[in-house]
Amino acid sequence: MTSISRALLALALASAAGAPRAADPNLKTEPVKATPVTEDSSAGKALYARYCTQCHGDEGKGDGPAADFVYPRPRDFTLALYKVRSTPSGQLPTDHDLFNVISEGLPGTSMPAWNKYLSENERWQLVHYVKTFDTLGLFKDEAPKQRIAVGSPPQMTPELIVRGKELYRSKKCWECHGKDGRGDGEKADTQKDDWGFPIRPVNFTKSWRFRAGDRVEDIYRTFTTGFNGTPMPSFVDAIPAAEDRWALAAFVKSLSRPQKTGQVLRARAVETEIPSDPWARQWEEIDYLDFPLAGQIIVKPRWFKPGHDVITARALYSAQEVAILLEWDDGTHNRGERGKPADQVALQFPAEKVTADEKPYFILGNAKRPVDYWFWNAADGLRRFTAEGAQKLAPRDAGSLSAKGEYRDGQYRVILRRPRKAASEHEVEFEPGRFVPVAFHLWDGEQGEEGLKMAISSWYYLLLEPPVPSTVYLWPLLAGCFAFGGELWFMRRLRRRREVRV
Amino acid sequence: MMLRLTFWLALALYGAVYAALRLAIHPPIPASVLTIYMLLTAIAILVFVSADERRFTQFIAPLAAVFEGRAPRAARIAVLAVIPLAAAWATYVRVAPSADAPFELRVIHPEPPSSLSVHGRRVEIAGLQNPLRAKGSELDKPIREGKTIYYQNCFFCHGDALAGDGHFAQAFRPIPANFRDVGTISMLQESYVFWRVATGGAGLPKSATPWNSAMPVWQDFLTEEEIWKAILYIYAGSGSTPRTWDDEVKHDKH
Ligand code: HEC
Ligand code: HEC
Ligand code: HEC
Repeated sequence: MTSISRALLALALASAAGAPRAADPNLKTEPVKATPVTEDSSAGKALYARYCTQCHGDEGKGDGPAADFVYPRPRDFTLALYKVRSTPSGQLPTDHDLFNVISEGLPGTSMPAWNKYLSENERWQLVHYVKTFDTLGLFKDEAPKQRIAVGSPPQMTPELIVRGKELYRSKKCWECHGKDGRGDGEKADTQKDDWGFPIRPVNFTKSWRFRAGDRVEDIYRTFTTGFNGTPMPSFVDAIPAAEDRWALAAFVKSLSRPQKTGQVLRARAVETEIPSDPWARQWEEIDYLDFPLAGQIIVKPRWFKPGHDVITARALYSAQEVAILLEWDDGTHNRGERGKPADQVALQFPAEKVTADEKPYFILGNAKRPVDYWFWNAADGLRRFTAEGAQKLAPRDAGSLSAKGEYRDGQYRVILRRPRKAASEHEVEFEPGRFVPVAFHLWDGEQGEEGLKMAISSWYYLLLEPPVPSTVYLWPLLAGCFAFGGELWFMRRLRRRREVRV
Repeated sequence: MMLRLTFWLALALYGAVYAALRLAIHPPIPASVLTIYMLLTAIAILVFVSADERRFTQFIAPLAAVFEGRAPRAARIAVLAVIPLAAAWATYVRVAPSADAPFELRVIHPEPPSSLSVHGRRVEIAGLQNPLRAKGSELDKPIREGKTIYYQNCFFCHGDALAGDGHFAQAFRPIPANFRDVGTISMLQESYVFWRVATGGAGLPKSATPWNSAMPVWQDFLTEEEIWKAILYIYAGSGSTPRTWDDEVKHDKH
């Protein structure tokens, strides 16, 4: 942003904040709590220099040395625009709001929770210090403030959620957040924040990504106050009745789920054919696991701002085949058009049978231990490689490996399946009870991801659940009877001894 | 008095050992190892109790009371029921198919090699010192530069507070090292840390499962001096100090 536009924007903001809106009759407010710790500017300055400058910059402009390596960018404090507040739209945050953000951090971003490492007093000094970057003097001239009274949430009933769903539709939340809340609305791609940086609507299904908290109260507060500096406005005017806003919050909450992680992806046995429709009920009924992903920042070229943070997987196996269903949310369906690469996903298995004590290198193996790389692309479907390192991918015949993928309502679902028997060289056999290492790679075409610019996981295991043999119940039964028999024998013996003694 | 309680004390001790092994050790020890430890504990307790005639009589007194039919009826039935059930449960746990990931033993701090190759140059580890410390007085500037290097290369994994909890940390296993923990850099010499940073996960010996470590090979990205600066910063930022060669000499003399 140029300095002129910055100044103009600042002026506009100053006038907006200077003239608080007439008290909104629909908005219950309460007085702001007093700030418990007074300012000690030298302490604040030292703490800021030590803990915050690397992201927020020496002058609070959000331009520290780490700024280019994280998404979203660290905040520029000079315009005093804050997202997580308890005050009405356009207003400054309270000191307690800032204190809470600094203490709890912003989940899903690089802004850490400082309550683990800094004392309460230190965090209050940082609140005071952050406010000094406000170049417009907004905090100084500020009139005594009111904060929005959230109150306690109503009972979460199905009716409330249905009403919320209706409001979600009629108030057009879906235009940005998408029909199922996956951040895939038609306007999702074009949003910019007040600094001119692209910004994406939040995906409501990921409870761990709500920056202002994922409790119903938090969601209610978020769209009552709005996020200043973003296209996410306050909805007080559009949805004046508090009950309606609670209903909407309840609906948004109902879309979200926590992350479920684990080490072993268990494939369930099926008697019949494995369904080929990724939306088939049989898939929905089995257990899933979420695999957290990170940017590939280990080998060149590094990729610091991955578009995806998680991939979800389920697995089934039949007498002949094993199939893995991969699911991930993506706000845009990229098929290699508009000069952007297509969305992609890959599964990585060892190319040869390995023990737990020695696996291929977790990023694409190496010459000694190659990996079998199954790769699905939204433009041209399945491809297969054998990789002997990040730079050494050799295409191979897909053989009897097959794939089926589809994009629907902001979500990809891709099934990759293969006969359990190893049919060619460089592939492993899938036997019930054997742990096969597996890793996941994911690309978001919208962010320009391709090749090694991707999101990666560590090694996990795929296990075809072995059938439970009946001896599993027989042995415990025998052991129990044996123990009981032993007790009886012991009892008889002791009593007889006692009788003898008597 | 204590003697009368022998049985209950033994039971409490066994429970305490179990709780300690289960809860106090991170990462959790695998079930098979736990079983061995608990077996050893049981044997140790039995050896101790049976070493003394009177202690042993007191130890088996509550059991004898139950089996001779002197204990209250409820207690008798409870014991008679609990023992077979426990036996059945223990057997079930053993034979039921497990979906726990295979246990991977990982040596966290393996023996370093005697020398390593950095940018094609051989560097001896013995006696290797951080050249930036040698200058003595002025550390502020290299630490500040090290901080910038850390924030453009390391903090994604090792975290802002150097506690191994960066925003990418949860995707990796083993998790990135926590530099605030006394079990990491503060018990290592800078030469060791240099080896680890320069050669990364790939440079680890087999016992340290190099194929799983996400730690990058930093000589591919940083100059030798930059690596030393980053090392200065991880010590300064986490408030720890490296073990020195002098410590080592003192150690050997003891
Ligand atoms: C690793 C980088 C990083 C560090 C270090 C960091 N922050 Fe942040 N901070 C961020 C990012 C990124 C955001 C913006 C996230 C967003 O816009 O969603 C942010 C936002 C904020 C906000 C604005 C919250 C809001 O409601 O709008 C405050 C206040 C803040 N940081 C204070 C601090 C303080 C104080 C420190 C030092 C103790 C600190 N930050 C250290 C990355 C960082
Ligand atoms: C013009 C597009 C747009 C519309 C319409 C919109 N949002 Fe948003 N919303 C956003 C953007 C963009 C963000 C992310 C802001 C950011 O990253 O700082 C967001 C964030 C949110 C969050 C923040 C979650 C958090 O804590 O991080 C909630 C809750 C939310 N929106 C709810 C709603 C509801 C409910 C509606 C409908 C009443 C709605 N939004 C309508 C664009 C929109
Ligand atoms: C991609 C994630 C990642 C990045 C980036 C990263 N590390 Fe690591 N680091 C790890 C992991 C995982 C471990 C633990 C496994 C191991 O010891 O190899 C580790 C271990 C270490 C250790 C060993 C500590 C010990 O007690 O043995 C040091 C030292 C270290 N890292 C320093 C650094 C420095 C300095 C940087 C930046 C120049 C850095 N790391 C960047 C993931 C990372």
